[in-house]
Amino acid sequence: MTASQTTLPPVLRARGLRLGFDATSVLTGVDLDLHPREFVAVVGASGVGKSTLLRALAGLLAPQGGTVEIPEGRARDTRAWSMVFQSPRLFPWRRVRANVELGLEGLALSRVERRRRALEPLALVGLEELAERWPHTLSGGQQQRVGIARALAVRPQVLFMDEPFSALDAITRRRLQQELVDLRRRTEAAIVFVTHDIEEAVLLADRVMVLGGQTAAQPAGVVETLDIPLPLDDRRDHPGFADCLQAVERHIGGAH
Amino acid sequence: MTSVQARHRRSLLGALGLTAFLLLWELALRSGLLPGSLVPLPSTIPGVLAAEVADGIWFEVVMSSLTHYSVGLLLGSLLGITVGVSAALLPAVDALHAWLARLLRPIPPLAWIPFAIIWFGINPTAAAFIISIGVFWINYFASYSAVRSVDPGYDEVARAFGQGGFLARLAKVSLPAAAPGILGGLRAGLGQGWMTVVAAELFGIPGIGQRMMEASSLLATDIVVVYMLTIAGLYAAFDFLFMTLQRRLLRWQP
Repeated sequence: MTASQTTLPPVLRARGLRLGFDATSVLTGVDLDLHPREFVAVVGASGVGKSTLLRALAGLLAPQGGTVEIPEGRARDTRAWSMVFQSPRLFPWRRVRANVELGLEGLALSRVERRRRALEPLALVGLEELAERWPHTLSGGQQQRVGIARALAVRPQVLFMDEPFSALDAITRRRLQQELVDLRRRTEAAIVFVTHDIEEAVLLADRVMVLGGQTAAQPAGVVETLDIPLPLDDRRDHPGFADCLQAVERHIGGAH
Repeated sequence: MTSVQARHRRSLLGALGLTAFLLLWELALRSGLLPGSLVPLPSTIPGVLAAEVADGIWFEVVMSSLTHYSVGLLLGSLLGITVGVSAALLPAVDALHAWLARLLRPIPPLAWIPFAIIWFGINPTAAAFIISIGVFWINYFASYSAVRSVDPGYDEVARAFGQGGFLARLAKVSLPAAAPGILGGLRAGLGQGWMTVVAAELFGIPGIGQRMMEASSLLATDIVVVYMLTIAGLYAAFDFLFMTLQRRLLRWQP
């Protein structure tokens, strides 16, 4: 984390979150301060409540206890947050560009501006030429890129990503991971990224939050939050990469 | 065999079947195997059709039937889709109408004829009313189940992108996502309504059905057949037009 990140107020602040369904809690005691442009990865075994946490942070799901604050968007042509889902979930009845425009509808933008604001992130993910295509004519990787463009179009302060690459084949996944690293230089958004892939978390994040520790009698919680003090470029080749990976793995292992 | 060849072969066989049927019919009558009082000679039908058209009767009864049909179809479809979509989206409406729907649903449209006549008299309004009932149920069920089976993931997308209000979700998710099912219902209603037109008119409301009853009481079976073919031809035309529209509206589908 750089000095400028610590001095600015957080773009998301969660305190004492408790999540679950009906009377049972799945996950408790989650605190998070997310700073501008920061990338936090949330890892943990499946069923630990990663996606539930993401939805609660976004306000799509009411927590059983605790609070989440995301300060409102700064401008009338942006949204405070947006989300990339595990499956792209594009609207098949809208062309690619209209899909990207979804979040812009209802903002203070003219039709022309809206169009421009949709083409911008499409160019960023390299799909400007496919703007007038129907989603079903795109490959899985292209569809997920459109999903990312749709989320970036609203210029969010916080971008939530729910295992966005887990449904893709290994080669496409690697390419999109690299694209996300490059994308971070060109977007202001802070990112909360849920994944079950530890390597992916260490590869992309500034901080990794490990969830776990659940027993039959006790819900899961935050086991540890680790800083990843590595430069973003070519992380896989960095001598410190393996150490970071091991550190996260140790905490996941210890959680069982 | 390529698929094009196979398709041609199919069309050829279809035409052959139809021709053979007409030929057998004609021969059975000419040889005296079938009495001429029961069915007309197929070869006389074009002439009879021409006479009906020249008389202006054909045009008059067809227009009259089409009027009942379009009013009933429009009313039944609009109400059916509105109630179906509302029930699928609003739990309170769903619960409120569930038993009522179960009670009224099994009553066939024609069973409403007594009330149609008491309420409206023997006139076009009564026919339109009867037609709209059958069309209503078809559209109601089609749109209800179509909206119910929309992937809830799309609703989450709408909420994540600031389109979570009821009207925004209705216009941007529910209706477009359910469009294939709703259009399927409309198409089925198109057929069901047309069947009911003739039945409703058999009771004396002016139109194709009444003309057929008139003709049959004079044993003019050739005129009856002319209007049977008219019904089939008009339906084929509506269905073709609707399918064209449907393909255009659903061009986003793979």
